[in-house]
Amino acid sequence: MSKKKRNKYTTLRLVTLSLAFLLILVTPYLNLHYQFNFVQGWFQSLSIGNLWFVSPLEGIESILTSRMIYAPLLVGMLVPVLLAALLGRVFCSWICPISFFSELIDRFLSLFSKRKLRPQGIRLSKRLIWFALMGELLLALVIGAPIFVFLSPPGLVGREIMMATLFKTLAIEGVVVLVVLFLHIVSNRMFCRYFCPLGGLLALIGIKRRLVIERSDEECINCGICKRACPLGLDPEEDEAKSAYCWNCGKCVENCKVSALKFRWKDI
Amino acid sequence: MPKMKFHKKFQKEKKAHSQKGDVSISRRFFLMASAMAGAMFALPRPARAIKFFKSPVTTNVLRPPGAVPEEIFPSKCIRCGRCVEVCPYKAIRPLDIREGIYAGTPLIFVEEIPCYLCMKCVEVCPTGTLRPIQQKETRMGLAVIDKHACMTWNEELALCRTCYNVCPFKEKAIKLNELRPVVIDDYCTGCGLCVHGCPVTRKDGKKAINVEPIYASRPVKW
Repeated sequence: MSKKKRNKYTTLRLVTLSLAFLLILVTPYLNLHYQFNFVQGWFQSLSIGNLWFVSPLEGIESILTSRMIYAPLLVGMLVPVLLAALLGRVFCSWICPISFFSELIDRFLSLFSKRKLRPQGIRLSKRLIWFALMGELLLALVIGAPIFVFLSPPGLVGREIMMATLFKTLAIEGVVVLVVLFLHIVSNRMFCRYFCPLGGLLALIGIKRRLVIERSDEECINCGICKRACPLGLDPEEDEAKSAYCWNCGKCVENCKVSALKFRWKDI
Repeated sequence: MPKMKFHKKFQKEKKAHSQKGDVSISRRFFLMASAMAGAMFALPRPARAIKFFKSPVTTNVLRPPGAVPEEIFPSKCIRCGRCVEVCPYKAIRPLDIREGIYAGTPLIFVEEIPCYLCMKCVEVCPTGTLRPIQQKETRMGLAVIDKHACMTWNEELALCRTCYNVCPFKEKAIKLNELRPVVIDDYCTGCGLCVHGCPVTRKDGKKAINVEPIYASRPVKW
């Protein structure tokens, strides 16, 4: 297999991650200096013209804690929910700014390491992410105010960029982003794997998703490379790439030496 | 009786165990508590003064136009910051984590930058926290004139009518009564332009005309 084809998904993913980050990087500047309001906001709520997106977890928290339903909010949540229902947690691996920073850190760390794939680090139970989601929602209901809305790492990246552009300051809660990135340095994608409530919700929505990574039994030689390549610590050899936890980044597909793993659009 | 014997023995053991446990737990607790107290005092003053559940809305510190009552504001707002970003005057500012659960919610400090009622923020709010209302329906608060501080009311010869001149609803929200300004609550939007313009500063730092957020505490209709 040629080298070019092998990194197809990573290249594509890095391009979308960079574009997504560029989007939230330049929008506050354009809004401030050119009154360009066509694109607005960041990944908590983004508007492109009249097309509005609202992050599902933030929307659900808002509805649960205020006990009010506002129709435009539901409409805004529609596209992200559909995306997650069809493609799974692709927001996490293809768009999220935390993923962008994590990839940058990975590339930086690989300069000092001879190993091609990063070791998996600390392993906890995969199911922790469901508890993170439930715990977060329960805590929000107990306190009576949403929590993830002002402490969500992807949202905070956007807010800090906006604060820096508009007011030339930074908010203190940006420390959360640093903590998450530090956890990534300690152990591969620690926060995304086990503690991100948004990731948990998107995984829950995408439990019966259409785009899955399928393994062909005949071609697989059980070499275990996919298991070491997976940033989420899943094992595609045991068909965990079809499970709700997988975020369809395509790392295992690329690393498979015998092309036993492939993206597949599942029919109902 | 073997049963009794066993019971006694068990009780004895339990007692000994619990005594031992108690000692170590209390010592640990004491150490933990003192360490935490030390950490509390080591923190800088603003960090200690976190007001978790107290609303930051007060005189001249207001929510943007169309805001839902303060009781429900922090739960409805998703802190997406789009009202902050869209405001062409940079009047709306987000709070930070020192305000507890109000972190990230938008506020207008009318003494610094008042609201010019361009109504861009109410159009972009995705959650209905800022309801899409008309300019004249805005009720961010009510301007109140301090007749002891206002020089037109206080001094015979002063002819200041800055608040009257800057008011976007001149002759409706602020009228002149024998050359003295009077606020009409039917029309006052609470935009704070009068506060921003007022030349008199009282000893406590407030102006001679201030906007009181009287509508923020109204009850929520579910």
